[in-house]
Amino acid sequence: MNYAALCIGLVIGLPWLGALLVWWAGDGRPRLQHTLAVLFSVAAGVAAALLIPLGSHETAVKISVGGAFGDFTFVPDGLGVFLAAIATVVGSLAVIFSVDYMKGEAQLGRYYAMILFFIGAMAGLVLTNNLFLIFLFWEITALTSYALISFYNDDPKAVAGGMKALIITQLGGVGLLAGALISYAYLGSFEVSVLLEKAEVLPESVLGILAFGFLIAAAAKSSQFPFQTWLPDAMEAPTPVSALIHAATMVNAGVYLLARFYPAFEGVPGWREAVMLVGMLSAVLSAIMALTAYDLKRVLAYSTVSQLGYMVYAVGAGGVFASQFHLFSHSIFKALLFLSAGAVIHAAGTRDMRQMGGLGKQMPVVRAVFVIGALALAGLPVLNGFWSKELILEAGLTGGPAWMLGVMIFTAGVTALYTFRCVYMVFYGQPAQNRHAHDAGMFMKIALIPLALGTLVSWLVVGPFGRLLEETLPFHGIHAHSLGDIALEIVKAPVTWIALGVIALGLAAWVLRKQLRLVSEPLQGVAGVSRSSFGFEFINRKVVDFTQQLAEDLRAGQTGVLSWNLLAIVVTLFVVIAILSLGV
Amino acid sequence: MNPQMALLWMIILPLGASPVAYMIGRLSYNRSKGLFGLARWVTLVTVMLTWIPLFFVGRAVVIDGPVSFKVGRIVMEMDGIGLLLSATVVLLGTLVTIFSLSYMKDEEGEEKYYALLPALCGMMIGLGCARDLFNLWVWFEGMAITSYLLVAFYRDQPGALEAGIKYLVQSAVGSVLVLFGISIIFLKAGTLDLVELREMASGFGPLGLAAGALFLAGFGVKAAMVPAHTWLPDAHSQAPSGISAMLSGVVIEAGLVAMLRALGVLSATSTAWGALLLMFGVLNMVVGNLMALRQTQVKRMLAYSSLAQVGYMLIGFGVSASYGLSNGAAGGFFHLFNHAMMKGLAFLAAGSLIYALYLSRGKHNPLMVEDLDGAAQRYPLTAFALSVALLALGGLPPLSGFMSKWQIFLAGAETRSTALLWLVIFAGLNSVLSLGYYAPLVNRMYRRQPSEAVKEGKPIAVSMALPMVAMLLFVVVLGFWPVWMSWLTAPAASSLLAGFGF
Amino acid sequence: MIFNLINVVVVVTVGLVGIAIYGMLVSRNLMKIVVGLQLAVKAAMLAFILSGRLNGKIDEAQSLALTVIVTDTVVAVVALALVVQVRRKFGTLDIKAISTLRR
Repeated sequence: MNYAALCIGLVIGLPWLGALLVWWAGDGRPRLQHTLAVLFSVAAGVAAALLIPLGSHETAVKISVGGAFGDFTFVPDGLGVFLAAIATVVGSLAVIFSVDYMKGEAQLGRYYAMILFFIGAMAGLVLTNNLFLIFLFWEITALTSYALISFYNDDPKAVAGGMKALIITQLGGVGLLAGALISYAYLGSFEVSVLLEKAEVLPESVLGILAFGFLIAAAAKSSQFPFQTWLPDAMEAPTPVSALIHAATMVNAGVYLLARFYPAFEGVPGWREAVMLVGMLSAVLSAIMALTAYDLKRVLAYSTVSQLGYMVYAVGAGGVFASQFHLFSHSIFKALLFLSAGAVIHAAGTRDMRQMGGLGKQMPVVRAVFVIGALALAGLPVLNGFWSKELILEAGLTGGPAWMLGVMIFTAGVTALYTFRCVYMVFYGQPAQNRHAHDAGMFMKIALIPLALGTLVSWLVVGPFGRLLEETLPFHGIHAHSLGDIALEIVKAPVTWIALGVIALGLAAWVLRKQLRLVSEPLQGVAGVSRSSFGFEFINRKVVDFTQQLAEDLRAGQTGVLSWNLLAIVVTLFVVIAILSLGV
Repeated sequence: MNPQMALLWMIILPLGASPVAYMIGRLSYNRSKGLFGLARWVTLVTVMLTWIPLFFVGRAVVIDGPVSFKVGRIVMEMDGIGLLLSATVVLLGTLVTIFSLSYMKDEEGEEKYYALLPALCGMMIGLGCARDLFNLWVWFEGMAITSYLLVAFYRDQPGALEAGIKYLVQSAVGSVLVLFGISIIFLKAGTLDLVELREMASGFGPLGLAAGALFLAGFGVKAAMVPAHTWLPDAHSQAPSGISAMLSGVVIEAGLVAMLRALGVLSATSTAWGALLLMFGVLNMVVGNLMALRQTQVKRMLAYSSLAQVGYMLIGFGVSASYGLSNGAAGGFFHLFNHAMMKGLAFLAAGSLIYALYLSRGKHNPLMVEDLDGAAQRYPLTAFALSVALLALGGLPPLSGFMSKWQIFLAGAETRSTALLWLVIFAGLNSVLSLGYYAPLVNRMYRRQPSEAVKEGKPIAVSMALPMVAMLLFVVVLGFWPVWMSWLTAPAASSLLAGFGF
Repeated sequence: MIFNLINVVVVVTVGLVGIAIYGMLVSRNLMKIVVGLQLAVKAAMLAFILSGRLNGKIDEAQSLALTVIVTDTVVAVVALALVVQVRRKFGTLDIKAISTLRR
């Protein structure tokens, strides 16, 4: 076994081993559980970091299983190692954060075991080269996400949120299932690289089903249009879970899937346009929803959907590199925002921003890091969010229609607006209550500071990052540029300045919100519609109600009366005879 | 031990244990409790002893192919399908017997239970080995009769009686239909040997189709094919929990195996058999899942979910029967085995909760969904086992149910037919729907506020926990390494394909 | 010849099945349903004998029919025992009244 294989084994195996141990330690020993969880997640993070220099497109692990399951292969290519590193590093920070956040909670074993199980599965999802395993890990992440969203099982909202997330992501998962099965049926292999290489061999209609099946799967997993409704409801989860699973890692799996298979599908008629449209609609609709929400975590959730929309849009526009770079930046600053929001919620005891206000003085550290994250989210230079967002807009300029680019730039302005609204309502303004909020605990700070530093400087690695992707992804045709080239290009591009102008407008709109009443009055209607999530909740509810009603009505068929039961048997017989005699 | 003798022993042992256990129980009933315990141990030891001949037969079947044994004019032949069915039956039978040691302790008529359980196992092993149609029917009927008695075991419970008599009438009507089918075949061919019949089948004409329809509907009652399924929820929810596990885990599947054997003979008469299986598979999935969605009793919900699970098997077998793909049959048989473990585990876990919450205090209440609230605090192992079983039934990885469903779906895609692709997608959506009733149960068990029933619950005996742990291992380990079962499913699949003339 | 033995047996068999199924479908009395079931099994036995007669294997058909009689008797015994118990517990044999398990 070579060195890379060892690292891959550790990245996936360590968290799973840790999950078992934490479970085994039992809820009677919380200190041991905290320690074990931190140890194993950090160790996995180290293993993932060691894996980055080993990136290559060669298969590192190959376990022959055969039959209906293919060979279990793992490849440490650029996409894989960097996403695995994000999953494990952000994962370990979230676990460290939990030491303070979950102190004194019951059922810690279930909490940590599920988080560690998730980390391992997420790393497996991005490192494997086998479509069957991708689907398997995909489903495991859905399972753990559901278990953690409804961690507070006594709260009906948490259970409902978990169920919703599970059902919607599983619905999308059927698209991935169909795609993986078709790929095997026509190519005789589950290998991702085989699919990328031989995509043209497939009949056009089959490739179309494959491409759109994957798009549905990705949209459901990344909470994109029209499946965007589950992510805000998933905010019932403990906040470290929201930061890890519903901001930094699992929701990226959809974008990862699109990026991974982009070379195979780019030629499918209408696919790229559909991807861009999905991304654009998610971005703009969620940004507007973020503008009108009052729940701090929901604002962040909407903004996650919106930022994921940017990434999806970028993939559709052909900017795989831009989308992955934004994914990288977003994971860092959104995890930072969520964790610091967690610290705020932990201290203030509420998630409603209207009851916060003026917390900045009491929590200076949290305010500082939150503002850094917020500025990155808004896309202000020189934070990491600025560079990656500009890269996406540039990709949109070359790869997509102008009106979509216009919408995306407009969304950048809205993003700035809701970000400042959020920062203002939480940390500035008049204190709504006279409660004393304490600053973050030690473990919370340990988790927050590295993320804040990352937000400030992570864009500096754009050069090596590009080279890693270029060298290890033979089918994607990514061309790496050095940091200087990219910076120069961005600074020279007119779209950058337009975007910055719009962002400034968004900022100004918040500062001048009182004077703008004339404009904002008509927007109240929009706010109402957006609070009901543009009617998508309504559709969800109707579908659920219809299914439940159908099930209830069908129950009348179980009459319990023997004559009806016997009639059913006779009918079965005659139906079968009828079908046979019709001569099939 | 030579395989022929081993095959004979496999059938004789459980069937022979049955009267012995009954007589010991009867004789000692009024005298001493000590001797009465012997009845339990006779059954347990015999079922465990059956493992020895199973091992020898199994080795011979896997290495050299079918083993046959001749008694007079009757030929018993153990092939891949028979082996898979027998192995599942013996495994589940052993675990259920261990479970029943404390579950059925001091019930009225306990000796009958220990007489009927091995008889049921023996009948099913015989059914797996039957090589002529009439013999198949006899074993089938024997299995049915023992299961009627077991369903109506709590004979002072009105519900159990009602379920028993309804089950009896419907199942008996089904077996009459099968009898008519056999007599038609006998009329046309003059023989009932499965192998000889297969070559003559193409000359049967329309009467052959009629016989097939009779088999499909007749065995379909036992295999719980919608709409002939109505006996199932009553019988499964009213029987003692160990028997629910047997019924759901192997009895309905034995009906399915009998049907596949009988239809395989007629494969030359029509190409529609596979399509019909697929049609019933879809019906079963939809109706089973929708009916389960709004149930309030745990065991009834599990019973309806069996319908849906049989639907998946039907799809796997249907794909194999129409297209000759071995993955479909292998997946179907894999799912059969997994279902025995998952559903068996679910019923045993539910049963142990019923025992702890109600039966041990002399109450015959059904286990309602609300009773599960907070069960994980008092019964961590049982709650964990039930959660794993439910999630596996819902097809979530890394559990065994996911793997067998995957194999079935893969076979559907391998046909490269658009209609079947849609069917697979539909089946996938059904799996999602099924999570709509499995997952909330799991949530309930991990609540912090326990239900009234859980607060007053009694502890669960070790002999109940032991089989649950064993099944839990099967469900989890096969989820991580599914190919460990292919030595068993591959011969079964090739037997099925051979049966359908591929 | 219309009135040869074979034709008569065919008519009787089909007639028995018809009566049995009709009786089981329309009767609300559990006892009558069990009787209908018995009629159906008898028809099946006749069908076996008929098949044996037609293809010249009457001896095998007879042995099959005998086996059916044995198993059928067991089923009848169990069924009647259950009917007796049902009558004791529910006080009625009306199948509508004993349909407590539904939905």
